[in-house]
Amino acid sequence: MRSTWIFYRKEMLEMSRSFKLLWIPIVFAILGIMMPITSLFMPEILEMSGGVPPEMLSLYETPSSAMVMVQVLSQYSTMGVLILVLSCMNSVSGERYGGTAELIMVKPISSFAIIIAKWLAQCTQVFIAFGFGYIASFYYTYQMIGPLSWKSGLASFGLYGLWLILGITIALLFSTVLRGAGAAFVTLAILALLSLLNSLLPTWFSWSPARLTALASEVLVGNLLSVTSVVICCLITIGIIVFSLLSAARLLQKRVLPN
Amino acid sequence: MMGLLQVTDLKKNFGKESAVRGLTFQLEQGKCVALLGPNGAGKTTTLRMLAGLLEPSSGEIIFGEHHSVTDYRKWLGYLPQNPTFYGWMSGQEYIRFAAGLSGMEQKEISKRTEAVLAKVGLQDAAKRRISGYSGGMKQRLGFAQALVHEPKLLILDEPVSALDPIGRREVINLLREIREETTVLFSTHVLHDAEEICDDILVMAKGRLAEQGSLSSLREKHRQPLVIVQVEREREALLWLDSLKSKPYVLQADIKADIAELTVHDLGSARDELMREATENRIPLVRFEAGSSSLEDMFVKVVSKQ
Repeated sequence: MRSTWIFYRKEMLEMSRSFKLLWIPIVFAILGIMMPITSLFMPEILEMSGGVPPEMLSLYETPSSAMVMVQVLSQYSTMGVLILVLSCMNSVSGERYGGTAELIMVKPISSFAIIIAKWLAQCTQVFIAFGFGYIASFYYTYQMIGPLSWKSGLASFGLYGLWLILGITIALLFSTVLRGAGAAFVTLAILALLSLLNSLLPTWFSWSPARLTALASEVLVGNLLSVTSVVICCLITIGIIVFSLLSAARLLQKRVLPN
Repeated sequence: MMGLLQVTDLKKNFGKESAVRGLTFQLEQGKCVALLGPNGAGKTTTLRMLAGLLEPSSGEIIFGEHHSVTDYRKWLGYLPQNPTFYGWMSGQEYIRFAAGLSGMEQKEISKRTEAVLAKVGLQDAAKRRISGYSGGMKQRLGFAQALVHEPKLLILDEPVSALDPIGRREVINLLREIREETTVLFSTHVLHDAEEICDDILVMAKGRLAEQGSLSSLREKHRQPLVIVQVEREREALLWLDSLKSKPYVLQADIKADIAELTVHDLGSARDELMREATENRIPLVRFEAGSSSLEDMFVKVVSKQ
């Protein structure tokens, strides 16, 4: 328990010294704030670029604030996930291949404690980056476009946050077996596959963790969600996270350190 | 003396390759032991198994009364061949981190960190980032992290091989101090390092233990009467030198130009005989040495025999 805490502090110190704790939240905030701004000023932007008939411009309707937040989330589904996965791809593999793991693994700390500490640090990173970005875009949307429900905003934050945490957990798992770039590639492929299957065959994959992103959007728009579907999705996602963490700890212990 | 570490029939296979083929030895408390062997003998594999970084394919390691690595890791200090640290940390931060992971109390951590950094001579660089350290400083930091929790056994993998002469001297002196406090097991392929600081040596070759014992007992065991004769590079003298190999008292002769290494039957009579002949024939001697073969010869012999 204590060694987990010590390792967690080391991870956080590393993130702040490499400025990850600063620039990732800033990127998230910029990505988020851009949506309400471009939505509001779209006619002006189109006019400036020229060549757009004025009839078409007059047809443009500013989307509702809920729709803007949905767009923010879809922005995070691509760029946001990419940034988070890339930032955590070297978490374990960097230590294994860089040689620092050799000095750590001989200390009386279990591989499970190491994985949990790294996972908690990555979760903190997700929470800060996504939280900061989300609050910033929520605030801008609220101010520029129109009122939003706090409650549905919070519910959507939770559902979407779980999806992001699944992403970094899978990245962490593959980071114990592959080198950084490989881990990031496999993770992104898995996440893309989940999303693709979910959008192609929604009825078959109603349990899929990728449903979380859809649920997060629906709750924003104000649709009532079926409680069972939310519970099943969350439980399955949490199950996958726990399984991934346990496997990562096992793999870290069993696999021979590169010399 | 009590046994601190007992290794029984330790084996390690990597696929079909076997790196370690059945090692049995015992380490006594308070000793300084060198694990000696040529490159590729399985030294690093052995040390990594003892440190719990590798799982043995078979065999047993008993540390005190602990039978598994997870139980005794707390009492172990380990320094790999090329230690890598977090470059973004300062030396002091790293030692505190290592001490914390070893389960030390907060108060103790501060005290020991300072003491151990002073011991390895890094107190002035303690607050600097490790990325700016030189190779020798990193090696000393490696010692500090291995020593901070006062381990019962210190395992060092080639601690001096990669250093320049000054760094090497520093580390040897450091090892001399450390060996007063704790049991040390270190690997090296340089016999000279072992001779300088160790009580006992274990010689490994091709994954097996080729020879083991205290330095003095090994010297005794491998003592062979040896005479080295060097002459001026003159025709007469060289001819005489060459004729020595057919003398009855010479068991084995190794003659290279003007130097002859003669393994003889009985050192005393061979010396008298050779001296007499040399004076009679007015041979211009350059060097005449009579004594026992060194450990270096033993090392080469033992290793090449395998």
